[in-house]
Parts: sequence; C-alpha cells; structure tokens
Amino acid sequence: MTNTLLSLNEATRTVNSGSNKVTLLDNIDLQVKEGEFISLMGPSGSGKSTLLNCIGMLDSFTDGGYTFLGEPVHSMKEKNRSKLYKEYIGFVFQAYHLIDELNVWENIETPLLYKNVKSSERKAMVADMLDRFNIVGKKDLFPQQLSGGQQQLVGIARALIGQPKLILADEPTGNLNSKQSTEIMELFSQLNKEGVTIIQATHSEKNASYGSRIINLLDGKIVSE
Amino acid sequence: MIKNYFKIAWRNIMKHKVFSLINVIGLTIGLSASFVIGLMIYYDYTFDTFHKDGDRIYRVVTDFHSPQGNFNNPGVTLALEEAIKENSNFDVVSGFYQERPAKVENKAIDKVVKWPNFVIFTDANYFKIFDYKFLAGDKTNILSQPNNVVLTEKRAAEYFPNTAPNEIIGKTLVYNDSLNVTVTGVVENFKERTDFVFEEFISHPTVLQTRLREDFLNKEWANTNSSAQLLVKVSSSADLVAIQNRFDALAKEHEDEDSKKYGLTQKFVLQPLSDIHFNEAYGIYDWSKGQASRSLLTNLALVALFLLLLGCINFINLNTAQASQRAKEIGIRKTLGSSRKQLIGQFMGETFLLVVISALLSFLLSRWLINVFSDFVPEGLSFDLFKAPIIIIGIAVLLLVVTFLSGFYPAMVLSKFNAVSVLKNHLTVGDKKVKLRKFLTVFQFSIAQIFIIGTLLVGKQINFLLNKDMGFKTDAVVSVYNPRGEGEISKKEIYAEKLKAIPAIKDISLGGHAPASMSSNSSSISYVDDNNEVNTDLQFLFGDANYANLFQLEILAGRGIRNDSVKELVINETCRKKLGFTSPEEAIGKTVLMSDENIPIVGVMSDFHQRSLRSDIKPMAWRGDWYRARFSQFQAVHVSFQNNAEGNLKETLSKIESAYKTVYTDVDDYRVEFLDENIEKFYNREKRISKLLNWATGLSILISCLGLLGLVIYTTNRRVKEIGVRKVLGASLLQINTLLCKEFLVLVAVAFIIASPIAWYGIDSWLQDFAFKTSISFWVFLISGSAMIFFALLVISVKTLQAANANPVNSLRSE
Repeated sequence: MTNTLLSLNEATRTVNSGSNKVTLLDNIDLQVKEGEFISLMGPSGSGKSTLLNCIGMLDSFTDGGYTFLGEPVHSMKEKNRSKLYKEYIGFVFQAYHLIDELNVWENIETPLLYKNVKSSERKAMVADMLDRFNIVGKKDLFPQQLSGGQQQLVGIARALIGQPKLILADEPTGNLNSKQSTEIMELFSQLNKEGVTIIQATHSEKNASYGSRIINLLDGKIVSE
Repeated sequence: MIKNYFKIAWRNIMKHKVFSLINVIGLTIGLSASFVIGLMIYYDYTFDTFHKDGDRIYRVVTDFHSPQGNFNNPGVTLALEEAIKENSNFDVVSGFYQERPAKVENKAIDKVVKWPNFVIFTDANYFKIFDYKFLAGDKTNILSQPNNVVLTEKRAAEYFPNTAPNEIIGKTLVYNDSLNVTVTGVVENFKERTDFVFEEFISHPTVLQTRLREDFLNKEWANTNSSAQLLVKVSSSADLVAIQNRFDALAKEHEDEDSKKYGLTQKFVLQPLSDIHFNEAYGIYDWSKGQASRSLLTNLALVALFLLLLGCINFINLNTAQASQRAKEIGIRKTLGSSRKQLIGQFMGETFLLVVISALLSFLLSRWLINVFSDFVPEGLSFDLFKAPIIIIGIAVLLLVVTFLSGFYPAMVLSKFNAVSVLKNHLTVGDKKVKLRKFLTVFQFSIAQIFIIGTLLVGKQINFLLNKDMGFKTDAVVSVYNPRGEGEISKKEIYAEKLKAIPAIKDISLGGHAPASMSSNSSSISYVDDNNEVNTDLQFLFGDANYANLFQLEILAGRGIRNDSVKELVINETCRKKLGFTSPEEAIGKTVLMSDENIPIVGVMSDFHQRSLRSDIKPMAWRGDWYRARFSQFQAVHVSFQNNAEGNLKETLSKIESAYKTVYTDVDDYRVEFLDENIEKFYNREKRISKLLNWATGLSILISCLGLLGLVIYTTNRRVKEIGVRKVLGASLLQINTLLCKEFLVLVAVAFIIASPIAWYGIDSWLQDFAFKTSISFWVFLISGSAMIFFALLVISVKTLQAANANPVNSLRSE
C-alpha cells in the first residue's frame, strides 16, 4: 500500500475574470498513495471542487506538475489524458448527474461503451453491479423515478463499473438526508477497504471523519493536514 | 454503442416532440421535392442512352440565318445524303422521311387504320445506326426492295391482331388505297426510354410511288423539309471539325441566287443524340410528349435545393437553440470518458435518424407529389424508377449530405461544451451562436420573401397577358376547322351557308387561322421606291371579305378585301411603317413585289397582336384565297355569336357540329377552337411557372415559419421568468407581446430588405422574354413584405401570447 497514485507539485490554477487574474489553486503540493481515503474540507469557494476537477483531468492546472501513476499529466496530450482517466478514474457528483434519457441499466453501462467493452461482458458487469448495490429491481427505471439516495447509488455504481483506481466524489451526500448520507458514506468506506482510493470534497465534519486523511483548503491553499 | 446512440436519439426525438416534428416536416418537404425532381432529371437524362456507340450518333439539322432572324429546322435538304455518303468520317449515313399515310388496310381481315403515326421511309442503314431486335424477318438485305415494310411488335399487333411475328412475314398491307406493301420484318419496340418512337419502316424505294416522287427525283438544295431527317454515325476516328467544314463547303457550293440576294444562308449542323431530347429548337418526333427543358429542370432543381436548405437551416437553428438542454448530458458523457469525436458521432447519428424518418415519409409523399406536379412530371415517369440502382445510390448520398449539412454544425457546438462548466451550471450560450441563428433565419426568410415577390409579379404578368387587349375581338368567337387535307372550297361554302341558318350566330367568315395563332405563313416582299428598295418578311392572314368585320379589325385607310380571288393586300401599321409610308393614306394604291408579281395595297389596318405578347408585332397583311384552284388557304369557318346567345351556347355548338356532319359525311375530323381559349394556351408555360412558384412559396413560408416558431418557443421559454417579473411589475399583455415579437420582426424586415433587390433582378430578367410586359410596381413589394410580416406575426403570437398570458406566480415559483 505504499505505491504513490498521484502527486501534485506546486500545482496552480488561475483564471482570468474580466481583467482580474484570480488564483483558484495556489501552489498545491500533495501526494496520494493507493488505498487512501482523503477528505477535502473547506468553505465554499476554497477550491475543493476545482482541485477535484483538476485531479480528475476535467480541468487542468495552469502551472506546476501533476503526475498520475508515474506519468506526467501536465505535459500529456488530450487524447492520452482521456485514455488515462477513462481507465483509472470514476466520478461521483453532488447532483448525481445521471443521464435523464437513459434508464438505470443504461446509465451504468455507458462508461463501458466508451471503453469499448464487448456486449456480453458489459451485460455481466452491469448485472454484477446491480446485484451488489441491490438495485436489480430498478434497472428499467429512469432517474426521475428514483429517490435521491437511489440516484446516488446508481451514480456510484456507474463510477465503479469501470473498475477505477481512484474515485473522485464532489459532495456526494450534499443533496441527501442524513440516513441516506450515512448509507453512502458506509459504502465508500467499504469500497476503500476493498482497495479503491477515494478523494471526496465535503462540508460535513461527520462525513470527513470517514476518511483516513483530512485536508483543509482555504482560498486555494492547503492550510492543514 | 450504435444501438445505444439510436436509443438515446429516439428518446430525445420523442421527448422534444414539437421540435422533432418541425425538423421532420422541414426535411420531409425538402427531401420529397428533391426525390421527385431528382427522378425527373434522371428520367429525362436517360433518354436514348442505351444505344451502342450513342456518342457517335448525330442528327444533321439545318440552321438558317437571314436578315429577318434565325430559323432552325430539324430536317435537311434531301440532296445532302447523297453528298456525304462516301465521306470516310461517317460509318453510317441514314436518311429517313416521316410521312403519315391517310389510311392503312389489312384487306385479309378488313382492318382499316386511319392516320397511323410514326411511319417513316428508310433503308437498312437505319437498322445499322439503331440496333433493333428482329423478332421475325431477315436483318440482312432488309428494306432494299420497293414495297417492303418492317413493323414494330406494337404496330404489328394493331394491323394483325393475335398473329405471331413469324406468320406476319409476307402478308400485305395497302397504303392510301393504292400502295401494296409486303411485311418483311417485325422488330421489338425499344424497351428503354427513347425519342425514336417510329413504328413502321417502309423501304426507301417505295417513296417513288407516292406523292413525294417528284421531291425525291429532283432533290433540290434550296428545299428543306422538316420531314426529311438525316442520321449519321461518325467513325471512331472522325474529325468533327472536318465534317463541319465539309458541311459549310457544301452549303456554300449550293447557295442559290435568291439566297445570295436576300442574305439567306443555311448551315448544316451535327446535333448529338443526347441533345435531341432537350433541344426545343429542333424538337422531337412525338410532339404530343412535350419536350424536356434543361432550364425547367434547372429551375426545379434550384427549388428543391432551396427547400432542402431551408429544412437543414431549421435543423441547425433549433438544435443549437436547444443546445443548453442537452448540455448536462454532454457534460456527463464527457466525464464518463466520451471523446469529442464520439459525441459528434452520437449527434450525427441522431440527425441521421431524423433524416431517415423524413426520407421514409418523403417516399410516401412522392407518390402523391408526382400527381400534383403532373404538369411538370413527364408522362412516362413512374414510382418504379426508385428501383434504379443509380437512384438508390443517389438517395443514399443525398441523405448523407443532408445529415452532414444539418447535423455537423450543431454537433460541433454541442460537443464543444466544457464538462466542468456545464455540470456546474455555468453554461452561457455565446453571442456568436445567437448571431448565427439570426443570420440563418434571415436567410430563410429572404428565400421565402423572394418567392412571394416572384409569385405576385409572375401572377401580375400573366394577368396582364390575359387581359391585354389583343386589338381584335377575342370573345364569343369559335373556329371550326375543315377536315385535314381538304383543299376544295365548295364544301366549306356549303357549310358556311348552313351555319347562316342558326339564329344565335352573328357573323360568319371563311378564312385561315384567326388573327392570333401559333401558326404563321409568310413570304418576303419588296417595295421599290423612287430611289431605294425595302425588303421585309410579311406574314399573311387569309380571310374573306367579312374577316375584318367579324374580328373587328380596324381599317385605318382604304378598304378591306372585296373579293377572295383578287390579288390585293391590306397591310398593318407595322408593315406600313416598315415600307416607309408616312401615313396610312400614303400606302393606298402602292404596289409591292411578291414572287415577281406586283400586288396592290388597298387598305391599311391597325396593329394587333398576332402571337403571344412575348413577341413583337410583325409586318402582316390580310389577303384573299388566291390559289383556291390549287389548294384553298381557307381552312376554317370563323363564327361569332350574338351577344345575347351566351345562355344556350351549348345548344348552338351542337347545332354547329351537326351542320358539320351533314356536310362532311365521310370523315370524322371535327375540330372546333375557341379563340379566347387558344390565346390562353399561348401562356401555358407561364402558368406552369406560376404554379411552381405558388408551391415553392407556400412550402418555403411553411418551413421558415415552422423554424421561426421553434425559435420563438425556445426564446420565450427561456424568458418565462423575465415575463413573470415584468407582469408583476405591471406590464400589459400587449407590451409583453410587443417585447417578444420585436426581435423576430426585425429579422423578417432585414430579410425583406435583402430579398427585394434580388427578386426585382430575377423578375426583371424573366420579363425580358416578353415584348409586352407589366410594370414591376412598388405596391407588389409592399404587399409581399406585409404578407411575410403578417405570417411571421401570426406564428410568433401563437407562442408569445400564451407566454404573456401565463400566470406569473407559476413561472416565478419554479425558480
């Protein structure tokens, strides 16, 4: 459990807002080892989501180094980067972000389509996942027909289907009530025990405590670990 | 993956039913028009393409140039065939002569066929140029002897019903009561589309036993008859320039004195086989078919293209406008690992699905459209043509092109969204895209506007043509033509006498054609003044003394014709001016030289339109029936009705017909023409254009308005909150509606400004074909602009009124 999954070296992200240059992330240094469960904490606008997006390669750092599994992401081409995150990273969102036009089965199946998994294999994998999350009975329902907790379960199932090494969760329980929150956090810790690295952003002390490591952000800087 | 795309595409289509419907309607209209018009183009361009070495087959035609103008004749002088026969540039030279026998008899079964069409005199060379399949008879030595005939299968079945081709060989047919001809071959009719529709091939030497004997014995270079046709097949190494030089030399060599004097030259020209179907200057053999027109096909293709473009534009507009609704899905797919290429693929797939749905609908529609456009669609065109491989490939390509045109840009826009901003609801639709949509909407409405202005102005011109005073009486006049080939005057006079007994008839006149007709008879005349000579072409109007009275032609000076057989002329004003007389009175008593005879001018009549208003008024003279003894030029009895006879017109007409039957007992060739209907027929082409424009206008307005509706629905939905707030602040229904309509009406107005000059230019150049034209009035533009704004306002208001009427509480609560 000592392999380094990713490391950030003076990673910075600035954007231009009008004529002002705004620094969203300021010289972040961070090492994440495989099997860690990290909670990012901080007030709104402190840069939690931005950091997650950048780690997830949806955004990119404007300065500094980012190495993922020994590969320098900052100097990679878009195509290779996409290949990398397709392979190793899964996302879970606060607003679930399921595709409204697809039912549960199809939502979970979608990442596999982009990884060009064969049809028979896909079926087995999705069935497996539905089984594991106890949502077999809901496989034909559409997102609007599910409760928030159920939608987030589907969201997590979808993130896991590609067997990622890293799950990035941006306030995964932000829209859920406390009972559902607890269930989801229990699930995360279970997954972590199975070897999945998780980085979550959260406001809640309680949720943060599920993590093995808590990082506090303020104004784009790491203020304490 | 593909299955997944189609699934989501289908669900999206169903979710946005209104938008999908607008897209499908737009594309269906465009595609249907393209299908039908594509079929027509395919149909017309596949005539006579099946002949072996078709690119080496030509028809030799004659172009005449003279100071009066140029004339084209599809025939050539009979003498030309002899002169080029030995030329090594030609593999085969085959002349044939079209001649319609009055009747053909199969005496064995007493079968008589009158006026069979598509009969030619020709020789074996014809069958060397065109490869007919012989069902019976020997192809070698065919038609070398006199009194032989080859029939097509179809014609053979008519003369010899229920007889096998082999049994027909050796049987005899009697032509025009006197000519005994033996059938020596039966050929299969061409299965493919062809303009060579001949059914009966009589051996060339037989022509010497007919009325044409003299023409063929003394082949004159100066004599050109359109029935005398000449086909050639040039050798594969032929030098076309050398052939033309040879033709020119022959024409020069045989130029006669008269031609030199009057500046008349003839030029022999090779007309490619592929040109025959289209070239109206030379015509085709089956007149009833109506000739294909390249310009009509081009115009139709343009209409189809515009309709298709309008459909594509709707698609682009609606899809980019809707983009934000799809944004979330795009963002999620991107985070799940979709590449931009895959997203583009997905959206193109969706577009393709819509296009395919539209295409299927279009197939159904085409069937119906072929009927609606029967004026344009050639008779033989059927739905089965869709089975032709090239059509299928063409349609596949068309569908892909349409998919690309309409789908590519929206796909690019949609797939460009940044996943992070989309998922965080930071999406802003850029100004640029709004501008593009505005541009496209303006484009659509410009096209619709051009069509509206065009329709109104073409309609105005047609109205002008039909209502313009022709200069003579056109209503309540009918002309009854005597049987074809009747050269005697006596029966016509008896008939006219009988008609006088009908009380509803006001006036009767024996004559040639009515003052305005499609046919003309002319000759060149000259007038020698003290010091100079004027030559002109003069058209003739044949009529008895009552002709001017019946048609109410105005005599300006002198008098009308007094007697049918006295050689005298009544000229029109144009002729009077051409000959250089300063006043009508001055012309009276002068003589003009016509075929070496001095003919006196006894009267001058006012000008009237002799043809459609496309052409100018030409020099014309009214004359009698001078050569009655040989062949009477009076081919018709013109009748005008009493003013109060309108009511029982039908009864009068049946009386006229029964009188005809009592005079012409042995023939069945009753032809009656109404003068006003005939004049209307001059403008059939204009009416067809008008009909086409009406459709194009209606459809382009429909598509454009649908597109506008889509945009309005989208924009209004986005502004629901604003509308709610404004209402709460006290805005009235009208104020809100004005606010919402304003930005769209500006687009329509801009379209009007762009469309007006283009439409003006187009109509102005169309009107150049007419010698007499209506004015391009300002009010037409005003009306069409108002009409467009009216339509747009109607469409916009449907949605904006609904939005403005909505209870603000609902729209504000949802936020």
